[in-house]
Amino acid sequence: MSLYGAAVKRPIMTTLCFITVIILGLFSLAKLPIDLYPDIDTNTIMVITIYPGASASDIEQNVTKPLENTLNSVEHLKHITSQSRENTSVITLEFEYGYDIDVLTNDVRDKLDMVESSLPDDCENPIIFKFSTDMIPICLLSVSAKESMAGLYKILDDNVANPLARVDGVGSVSISGAPKREIHVYVDPARLEAYNLSVETISAIIQSENRNVPGGSFDVGSNTYALRVQGEFDDSSQLENLPVGSYNGRIVYLHDVARVDDSLEERTQETYIGGEAGAMIIIQKQSGANSVAISEKVMKMLPRLQRNLPSDVKIGVIVDTSDNIRNTIASLEETVLYALLFVMIVVFVFLGRWRATLIIIITIPVSLIASFIYLFATGNSLNIVSLSALSISIGMVVDDAIVVLENVTTHIERGADPRQAAVHGTNEVAISVIASTLTLIAVFFPLTLVTGMTGVLFRQLGWMVTIMMIISTTCALSLTPMLCSQWLRLSTHHSRLYDKLYVPIERALDRFDNAYASLLRLVISHKTVTIIICLGTFVGSIFLMRFVGTEFFPTADNGRLGVNIELPIGTRVEIAKESMARLDAQWRAEYPEIEAISYTVGPASSDNTFASLSESGSHIISMNIRLSDPGKRKRGIKEIAAQMRKDIERGYPEFRKAQVNVGGGRNQGMGGQSTVDFEIYGYDFTATDSVARDLKQILAGIEGTADITISRSDYQPEYQVDFDREKLALYGLNLQTAAYYLRNRINGSTASQFREDGEEYDIKVMYDPDARTSIEDLENIVIYTPTGKGVKLKELGKVVQRFTPPTIERKDRERLITVSAVVDGVPLSQVVANAQAEIDNMHLPSGIIIGLSGSYEDQQDSFSDLLLLGILIVILVYVVMAAQFESLTYPGIIMTSLLFAFSGVFIILWLTGHTLNVMSMIGAIMLIGIVVKNGIVLIDYITLNRERGMGIRTAVIDGGRSRLRPVVMTTLTTILGMVPMAIGTGQGAEMWRPMGTAVIGGLTFSTILTLLFVPVLYCVFAGNGVHRIRRKLRKEKQS
Amino acid sequence: MKAVFIAYDQAHHEKVIEALDKSGCRGFTAFGNVQGRGSVKGEPHYGSHAWPSLASALITFVADSAVEPLLARIRLLDEAKPKLGLRAFVWNVERTL
Repeated sequence: MSLYGAAVKRPIMTTLCFITVIILGLFSLAKLPIDLYPDIDTNTIMVITIYPGASASDIEQNVTKPLENTLNSVEHLKHITSQSRENTSVITLEFEYGYDIDVLTNDVRDKLDMVESSLPDDCENPIIFKFSTDMIPICLLSVSAKESMAGLYKILDDNVANPLARVDGVGSVSISGAPKREIHVYVDPARLEAYNLSVETISAIIQSENRNVPGGSFDVGSNTYALRVQGEFDDSSQLENLPVGSYNGRIVYLHDVARVDDSLEERTQETYIGGEAGAMIIIQKQSGANSVAISEKVMKMLPRLQRNLPSDVKIGVIVDTSDNIRNTIASLEETVLYALLFVMIVVFVFLGRWRATLIIIITIPVSLIASFIYLFATGNSLNIVSLSALSISIGMVVDDAIVVLENVTTHIERGADPRQAAVHGTNEVAISVIASTLTLIAVFFPLTLVTGMTGVLFRQLGWMVTIMMIISTTCALSLTPMLCSQWLRLSTHHSRLYDKLYVPIERALDRFDNAYASLLRLVISHKTVTIIICLGTFVGSIFLMRFVGTEFFPTADNGRLGVNIELPIGTRVEIAKESMARLDAQWRAEYPEIEAISYTVGPASSDNTFASLSESGSHIISMNIRLSDPGKRKRGIKEIAAQMRKDIERGYPEFRKAQVNVGGGRNQGMGGQSTVDFEIYGYDFTATDSVARDLKQILAGIEGTADITISRSDYQPEYQVDFDREKLALYGLNLQTAAYYLRNRINGSTASQFREDGEEYDIKVMYDPDARTSIEDLENIVIYTPTGKGVKLKELGKVVQRFTPPTIERKDRERLITVSAVVDGVPLSQVVANAQAEIDNMHLPSGIIIGLSGSYEDQQDSFSDLLLLGILIVILVYVVMAAQFESLTYPGIIMTSLLFAFSGVFIILWLTGHTLNVMSMIGAIMLIGIVVKNGIVLIDYITLNRERGMGIRTAVIDGGRSRLRPVVMTTLTTILGMVPMAIGTGQGAEMWRPMGTAVIGGLTFSTILTLLFVPVLYCVFAGNGVHRIRRKLRKEKQS
Repeated sequence: MKAVFIAYDQAHHEKVIEALDKSGCRGFTAFGNVQGRGSVKGEPHYGSHAWPSLASALITFVADSAVEPLLARIRLLDEAKPKLGLRAFVWNVERTL
């Protein structure tokens, strides 16, 4: 027995089956985690190799090149980039999306094993490092303190960082801006020399005095006692009275030659929150963990942690990424609910009966909720993509149910018993319902096959819609007939409310039908004119394409700005702090939108995991800004960023590089502002440098560019000590010993650890800060020979200032410099076109090539993927339709509505000023499935009329009039379902606005033209067919 | 004894069986889905794309006295839903086994 027969016969079973599905769906929904995007596997592997003492060019030649040559043969590699700087080679392998990173890592490891033997002897083994979006911190907490500032690190480490690190899913917790305690022994070089002591001796003495030594155990009478020598210092002040030697029969104490300073690390990263010094706690998640869940746990813990802290220490939140995710998802959920409401209203207006409306509307929750089961079963999350899929589908899942219900109603009106009507009515339309679902699946299923980054995103969309379509069709063929058989009755009289409310609507709809029929009569009588006008509109809209810019992804307003500032290399940290204090105060005063602002200055300590991944130094400043909710402020994030860039340009000439990054960081793929990266390939440093400078000038002159940066940094000034090897040998020294003497005096030698309350603090012996401020100080450093004789450093060598070459960057095994610019206010394509025109006029030295990458490259990749996908989908849809109509012409006629759909997309993008980006492209691709449905309904009924014996003209006009309502109804449900998406203002709405807009524009325009153009084209082709048959008959007669 | 042949829109099927029962006619042979069209204005029942509806037919052999009540019931059915289509034809049975 057929599905619908069984369903109508067994209403309880059918109802319970669907209730079970709904319960399972709701259960899955409760368990679904929330995230911004579907899981994106990392596609990057870093190989870090350390070769101590090698210069950048040595590293490039001896380490990077051989590694690159071998690693280049790993499969699925997209780009191989490298940075060779002093001591370190960092190679980044970027793979195509969609491959198992673990397998790739193993491949990389195998290749490394092969090449390891050919690396220099002193070179350490390469380390493999998987980079992923997980490295981006999920929470930044601010800590402000007054009295407790000195001991802040320990307080935070014990009371905040450690408990947070124990939260399930938290990867690492780093503290920045809270310097660690350190005990400095600042020696006075003059006194040291006078007493014939050296930093090394003092360091050795401290080390041997600060000891606890177990002495074993010994027996006294019948007892055994442990024996210990307890020499460790209890208090740092004990150090001062430590005897360090004797001079002329008198004991020399440490306080005679040095001062003990129990304070904080010397060079550290400092953090300022809201203009005041404080600390920042950075929380990163474990790979694959859910950020919303973690940050919820963290936020829940904070009040408890706060209670354990001293009263002056306050914890605040600078950035909570989950906030943005939650808001985005909430605004999408709102969109889905609005879509539901709109669809309900449309269905009610067209059907006029609440029972019928209810039968149709029930399909929506059933199909939508069932898709949650898929999400849960495949371990996916509720994210932008899956929720957009819901929003898109709401208007489409009702279509099948509408067709079934309409036909069942016709049967009931003809007098059939509702039960019989339900079975037979469904039977009649089952095939065409399945066929129209197949055309939609032909559109959405191929989305699951896209590769690359877009594929990662749209695979889920494809699956979701495909599943919802299948479920809605199943629903339309079982639940809908069952409900029809139970609820629908032939009613001849209506209530008064119905008469009052619905009769005018009914009359308007009838007038609409008639008006359309007359219009149809008119256009059929003027076929050529109609065809010319329609095709003219299409061709005209193609020209609009030139005015619609393209970009990769729309910029999302997540209320986060990241500012990276670089002062000239070697700038003292105090100067950086001063400028930043000014900038910070200015911005806090001028931008009421700023909710929290924090920045860090200075070199990061090595145990700060987060900071060690990013660049830091005394001249580098990174700033984090949180803006208020997008709905609550007038200025968009791009506008604010542009204004900030202007502020920096105008008031802060001391900044050598400054970047204001929308979304928090650069090149994070989706959501950030687009960048154009020009890659200048060439071996010669000076030549490429000068091209880069020229290019920067050119880019600065092009409208719509901002934050132009050159990737290669300047030559770095530094002091070097050139030892004279012969003299060293004369004194019985070698370079290493001499260098260590130097290091111990300036950087300090870690003598021992001071223990207190279970914590260890370094005791560092070094020159007093006053005794290491000039080159003379360096030259006067005394180095002791093995015989104990002191020699001044200036006798052994010279102190000279030199410039070291900067990091050497390579991509795909060639040296390059990247000049990158943020695109602001002008479509990406336009900036690229303008820049390209200028570059073509540039006179490049031989051997130098300029290439394009950044968002533009991603955009080109995605666009070509999507274009290919579009073609595949058009072919599939054609196949499905040709199979359904058993004709090659009719699908062709229906397909012409696609032309108008694309016209509509261009026209609306042009009118609204949106760009053509990946999101609007996806909208256009979905249109292929949606607009042909209208054509199918129309042509199907016209052919039916002809089969019933009508003439072409009557068949077309009658068919048009009778199918107008279903066409308009399904179109309106889809359009109105998209309206909340297209006009949404919630957080993250920028992402899906272009998609909604594109679908609305394309569908509206194509429906209007399809209703006129398709019947006309049908008349032409059917007329030709009739002529052909007549000619054939005539010929047969003659012969 | 008379043979009654009833051809009807398949939506009528249950009601026709009911009419047989009420008229005390036990035996019948139904033909399931059949195609056909009315002689005057009856809509074709082809189960095709253009004419998707289908008809059913059954033949029953009843005592002469049962014919009138049966036809009366069937007429009522037809008059209640004239758009569906229902016709009955009666002829004599000459011999039975």
